[in-house]
Amino acid sequence: MVQSILQVTAMESELAAVSVLGPRHNRHKRVLAADLLLTALIDAFSILVIFLLMSFSSTGDILYINKNFEMPKAAYGEMLDRNPVVKIDENQIFLEDKMIDGGGDGLFRALLAMKQKAAADRPTEESPTIITVQADRRIKYQVLNQIVVACAQAGFSDIRFAVLSK
Amino acid sequence: MHGRKKHLDFELNLVPFIDLLSVCICFLLMTAVWLNVTSINVKQAVGGQSQTETEKKPTVWVMLAENGDLTMDFKSAAKIPANMQKLRVAAEAGRFNLDGLSKILQQIKVVEPELRTVLIHPKAQTSYEDMIDVMDRFRNSGMNDLGVVPL
Repeated sequence: MVQSILQVTAMESELAAVSVLGPRHNRHKRVLAADLLLTALIDAFSILVIFLLMSFSSTGDILYINKNFEMPKAAYGEMLDRNPVVKIDENQIFLEDKMIDGGGDGLFRALLAMKQKAAADRPTEESPTIITVQADRRIKYQVLNQIVVACAQAGFSDIRFAVLSK
Repeated sequence: MHGRKKHLDFELNLVPFIDLLSVCICFLLMTAVWLNVTSINVKQAVGGQSQTETEKKPTVWVMLAENGDLTMDFKSAAKIPANMQKLRVAAEAGRFNLDGLSKILQQIKVVEPELRTVLIHPKAQTSYEDMIDVMDRFRNSGMNDLGVVPL
């Protein structure tokens, strides 16, 4: 008679031999190979995969956050899309990770150049009006003000302040 | 033809499943983004429309004082009683009283549900975090059209 693998292992395993169902006359045939109950393992793995898939972000990293950089937190933020990023780090302004000299005026010129390049590359599309601002939570508004003004002057009327979700 | 009974039950080989799930878990763990970054959207008025063309919407101007006081000035909000057109939320321990602000905003929203436009007027020394906290409270109250007034 053909016996299934499970039946064979149940009959011969250490665990089965000590259970009430285990035939005592088989004691001399004991195999010391351990049985793994794989169903529970697969259940746990499936739950992990589902959890990780739910929290998976297909957009990847939109912002790069330095070690000492602390972003403010907000509970009612909106989803962040990929837009040009202006970053203020230690009173230095960066546009798409390129350092901008000349403060607000320099940023205004860089934003205009970016707009012109976008218009030349894609003449049929509307020029971008959305910009993401990434700043440390401790900076004062007088620093942020030059960015707000430069963005508004360059035609970026939608400013998105990047925050961490509370 | 009374042959031996065939066993109809079979066992799945679970090892490939475990392999697949392990690879999936490794990939997802390595590509996971644990920080959830969102944004507070602010629309800056850049002009273009004349004042007569612009529809007068109920608006609130919020002044953030350096001592932590918040002053709200309601414009074009006829439903708000005259004694509430200008409100002040006093500072709490030198910081903005955000819970007090939320309570007032709930009351205002009942009186004037159309109020959605908020213009934040920070001072030079107002910290970015405080500004975001105040904006977050307004968003919580359903006032999503936010603007920041330059210095």
